[in-house]
Amino acid sequence: MFGSKWVRCSVLLGTAVLAAASWSATASPARAEDVIRFGAPLPLTGPLAPEGIKQKEGYDLWAEQANKAGGISVGGKKYKVEIVYSDYQSNTPRAVQTTEQMITQDNVNFLFGAFGSGAAKAASTVSEKYKVPTIAAAASSVQVYDQGYKYFFGTFTPNDTLTTPLTQIVKAKAPDVKKVAILARNDLFPLAIAQEMEKSAKANGLEVVYFEKYAIGTLDHSAALSQIKSLSPQWIFITGYVNDLLLARKQMVDQEIKAPVVTMIAGPAYRDFIDSAGKSAENLTSASWWHPAEEYQGKDVFGSTSNFVKLFHAKYNYDPDYGQASAAVCGALFQLAIEKADSLDRDKVRDALASLDVVTFWGPVKFGANGQINSLEPPVFQIQNAKPVVLFPEAIKQGDLQLGVN
Amino acid sequence: MWLTQVLINALVLGCLYACIAIGFSLVWGVLNVINLIHGSFIVLGSYLAFGLYQTLGISPWYAIIVAAPLFFVLGYLLQFLLLNRVINAPVLVTLTMTFGLDLILNNAMIYFFKADYRKLTLSPPMGSVSLFHAVVPIDRLIATVAALALTGLLYLVLRRLRVGRAIVAVRLDRDAAVLMGVDVKSIYAVAFGLGAALAGCAGVLMALVYPISPLTSSTFLGKAFVVCVLGGLGSVSGALAGGVLLALVEGVGTTFLGPEHATTLSFVLLIVFLIVRPQGLLGRKGFE
Amino acid sequence: MTRSNAALLVLLVCLAALPLFGGAYALRLGTIACMYAILALSWNVVGGLAGYPSFATAAFFGFGAYATGVLLNMGLPLSLTILLSFVTSFLLAGLLGAVLLRLRGHYFAIASLSLVEVLSELVNNATDLTGGGMGLNIPLASGSGIMADAMFFFYAMWGILLATAVTVIAVSMSKLGFGLSCIRQNETASGMVGLNATLYKSIAFGLSACFVSAAGGIYAAWVHYIDPSDVFDVLYSVKPIVMALMGGLGSPIGVVAGAFLYFGLEEVVWRNYIQIHSGVLGVLIVLLLLFLPHGLISLRPGMFRRKAKHV
Repeated sequence: MFGSKWVRCSVLLGTAVLAAASWSATASPARAEDVIRFGAPLPLTGPLAPEGIKQKEGYDLWAEQANKAGGISVGGKKYKVEIVYSDYQSNTPRAVQTTEQMITQDNVNFLFGAFGSGAAKAASTVSEKYKVPTIAAAASSVQVYDQGYKYFFGTFTPNDTLTTPLTQIVKAKAPDVKKVAILARNDLFPLAIAQEMEKSAKANGLEVVYFEKYAIGTLDHSAALSQIKSLSPQWIFITGYVNDLLLARKQMVDQEIKAPVVTMIAGPAYRDFIDSAGKSAENLTSASWWHPAEEYQGKDVFGSTSNFVKLFHAKYNYDPDYGQASAAVCGALFQLAIEKADSLDRDKVRDALASLDVVTFWGPVKFGANGQINSLEPPVFQIQNAKPVVLFPEAIKQGDLQLGVN
Repeated sequence: MWLTQVLINALVLGCLYACIAIGFSLVWGVLNVINLIHGSFIVLGSYLAFGLYQTLGISPWYAIIVAAPLFFVLGYLLQFLLLNRVINAPVLVTLTMTFGLDLILNNAMIYFFKADYRKLTLSPPMGSVSLFHAVVPIDRLIATVAALALTGLLYLVLRRLRVGRAIVAVRLDRDAAVLMGVDVKSIYAVAFGLGAALAGCAGVLMALVYPISPLTSSTFLGKAFVVCVLGGLGSVSGALAGGVLLALVEGVGTTFLGPEHATTLSFVLLIVFLIVRPQGLLGRKGFE
Repeated sequence: MTRSNAALLVLLVCLAALPLFGGAYALRLGTIACMYAILALSWNVVGGLAGYPSFATAAFFGFGAYATGVLLNMGLPLSLTILLSFVTSFLLAGLLGAVLLRLRGHYFAIASLSLVEVLSELVNNATDLTGGGMGLNIPLASGSGIMADAMFFFYAMWGILLATAVTVIAVSMSKLGFGLSCIRQNETASGMVGLNATLYKSIAFGLSACFVSAAGGIYAAWVHYIDPSDVFDVLYSVKPIVMALMGGLGSPIGVVAGAFLYFGLEEVVWRNYIQIHSGVLGVLIVLLLLFLPHGLISLRPGMFRRKAKHV
C-alpha cells in the first residue's frame, strides 16, 4: 500500500545524497586575488593532538610574521598569507581525505604535509596526483621519500642521523659503556628510531642486551624496567612520547635504576617534559632535528635562530621545540621558494624548492633528489642544570657529555 | 630477586586498577549501563587535582574531599536529567548515549585544557621505601591505601546505609524493589552519582601517578572493562581481585614474553574468562 | 521481496550515478559513504536480526585491510586478495562465532570488543610481516589518473555494498533470517523447536564479517598505508551501531539511510567546527537518541513499528 511511496521516497533520498555530494564538490569559497592559500592538515584531536597543536603554533607564527612584513612578493605585488586548517583526527584516511578536500574545495595553492611519516606518506599520494608542492614538517622515514615523487619535500633528515652521532659521542666520552637496553613504544616514529639505535649500537661494537616494544597506552613500565635493571646495562635508551617517557622516567627513579647514560627520544626536546620531570631530567641525553640553543643566521623571514625563539616566546610565552620550529620553517621555505620563482605557478615553485640552497633559522636547507633535506646536522643534547646543552654538532657545541643518571 | 619486585609492583598496580574500575563496575552492575564516560570522568578528576595543586597549593589528599561531592552531583544530574530518559531502552541505546556524552566531555577537555600532557609533581618528591627487598614508591603506596580505603568505604555504604541497601536491592531484583517502595529512578541517579564520585576520586589519585591528558581516558576505560570482567560485574571485592589479577598477568607477561605481549595476554585472558567463567573471579548474583 | 527492500536497491542504483554529478572529491565522499553502509548493513545481520550486540566490526575491518595489504605486497592481484580475505574472514568469524556467541548480552559485547584488541595486538607484534606499529605500505593498485582512480575505488566499494545489500535482503527473506529473528525473540524457545541456533548464529557472524573484511581490503588498497591504530579503530565498531540506531534496527533500508545520515552529519560537522567537531557530533547523537529513539524508520507514517528486543 505504501510501495510506490517507498520507491519515490528512496529516489528522493538518492537524489538528495547526489545533490549534496555534488554541491559539496562544486562549492568553493570566493577566492581573493591577493592571497596565497596554504593547506595545513593537523591532528588536533586523537592521540597526536599535542603534536598537532604545536604545528599549528608554528604555522600561525610564520603567517603572522610574513603578513607583518607585508606578505610574499610575487611579480612586484605583495600577497598575504592565509592558512586553511583542518583536523584529521590523528586518523590517516582523514588526512588523505582532507588533503584532497583542500586541493579541490578550498583551492589551496600549496600544502603542508600531515604529521608523522605514515600519514604524510598516505596524503602525499594525493598531493602528488594533483601536482601540489607539499612540505612535510614531521616526516623522517626514508621510505616516505623513496616513492619517486616530485612535489613532496620534508625538513627532517633520516632517523639514523639522530642515533649515529649520539652513539659516537657516547663511545668517545664513555668507553665503559658496553651494554645497551632499548625499550620502544610500538608506534611509527618511536619504533623506527629504536631500530636505528639498535643498528647504530651494533655498528659501534655495543651489545644490545634488551630490545623490547611496549604497546601504545601502556600504563605501567615497572616490569620491563625491573628486567632492564637486572641486566645492568650502562646505556638505557627509551623511545616514546612525552607521557610514556614521563611515566618511564618516574618509574626508573622509583625503582632506583641508574645508568651512566640514559637517552630518551623524543621527550627531553620538549619544554613540558623538562618542566614535569624536574630533577629527574638531569643528565638525560636526547637528539632532535633542531634546538632553540642553535645559532644560525638565516635568510628567511625569521632571520636568526635566536630571533625566531624571541618572536615565538613573545607570542606564546614559552620556548619552541623542533615541532613548532619545523612547521614555521616549512612556511618560511615556501616563502623563499615563491619569491625565488617569482610566480605562484605550482611547477615553478616546485622547481624553486628543489633547487633551494639557503641557510635559515632551522639550519642550512637543501633538498636531496628524493625531496628529503640532506644539509642538516641534527643536534645531540643533554639536560644539564635543567637546561638543554648542545653536545653536537661541533660548530654549535655548548658543553660536554656528563655521565651518570640517577 | 627481581621477581619479588615484579610481584610487589603488580600488587600495587592492581590496587590502582581496582580504583579505576570500581565506579564503572558499580554503574554496570546496578544500572546495567556500560558507562563510556567513565574514562573521561577520571581524567577530569585528575585535572581537578592538578588545578587545585597548581593554583591553590591544595594537596591531592585534600582534593579527594572536594572531588567526591562535586562528581557525585555531576553524575547524579547527568543520570537524572539525561540517562533516566532512555534507561529502559535496549542496552545499545544507553551505550550509544554514554558514547555521545563522552565525545562531548572529552572534546570539551581538549578544548579547554589542551591535549598536551601535564604532570602533577609533588615537591619535594616522596621517594621510595624498601619492602621485602623490593622498592615501592611512596606515592603509589599511598594511592594504593587510598584506593583500598575508597573500596572499603563503598562496601560499608552498600552494607550499612539505607540508600546503599536500596541500591543492592535494585540490583538484585528491580521489580521487587519497586514493590518494596524503593524509588528506582532516584536510586539509579544515586548509583550513577556514586560511580562518578569514585571515578573523580580515582582521577585525583591517578594524577599522582600518571601524566594527565584527555587522551588517556580511553586507556583507563579499557582497563576498567578488563578488571570488571575478570573480577565479576558489580562486585566490590571482585574489582580488587580483578585488578590484582590483571596487573599480575601484565607483569608476568612482560617479564617472560616481553611488554608488547602483555596487552594481548590480558585480552586473551579476558575472552577465556568470559567463556569459562563469565561471572568473574568473585562474581555472584548480588553484592556480598 | 518487501517494498522497503526494493526501495533500498533503487537507492543504491541511484548512488551509482554519482560519477555523473561530482568530481574526485565527491567520489571520495561517496566511497566512504558506501564503506559506512557496508559496515552498518553487516553489523545489522548479527546485531539487528539476531540481536547480538557485536563490537567485532573493527576486528574484521582490520583483518581484511591487513590480509589484503600483506598479500598485495606479495604481488597478488587486488581482486584475488579481496576474495581471499572475504573467504578467510567468513570462516574465521564462523569459527569464532561458534565459541563467542554462546555468550549473551553484555558478555558477548565485551568478548567481541576484546577480539578487536587481540587482533590489533597480534598484528602489532608481528612486526616482520605487518610492520607492527610502523604501519604497512601498500603498492599502488592502479597508477592511472585522478578520476580513473577515484572511479575505480568508488565502484569497487559500491559493488561490495550492492553485494552486501543483496545478501542481507536474501538472508532476511530466507529461513536463515527467520531463524535469526526467532533467536532474537527467544533463543531458548527456538532451540526447543529444533532450530540449530549455534549454526545459525555462526553463519550470521560470518556474514557480518566477510563483507566488512572485503571493504577493509578495498580501503587498504585505496589509502596505500595502514597502521593498526587506524584500521583496528574501535570507532569502526561503534559507528555502525550508531548508524543502525539512527536508521532503525533490523531494517536494511533504515540501516543504510542511517549510515548515510550519520556520514552526512559527521562530514558537515567536521568541516564546520574544526576544534569542537567531536563534541558537536556527541550532542547530535544524544539529541537523536532522546527525540528519535527508534531511528528514522519510526518516521514511517502509519506503519507497524518493529522493535528490536533483547538487544
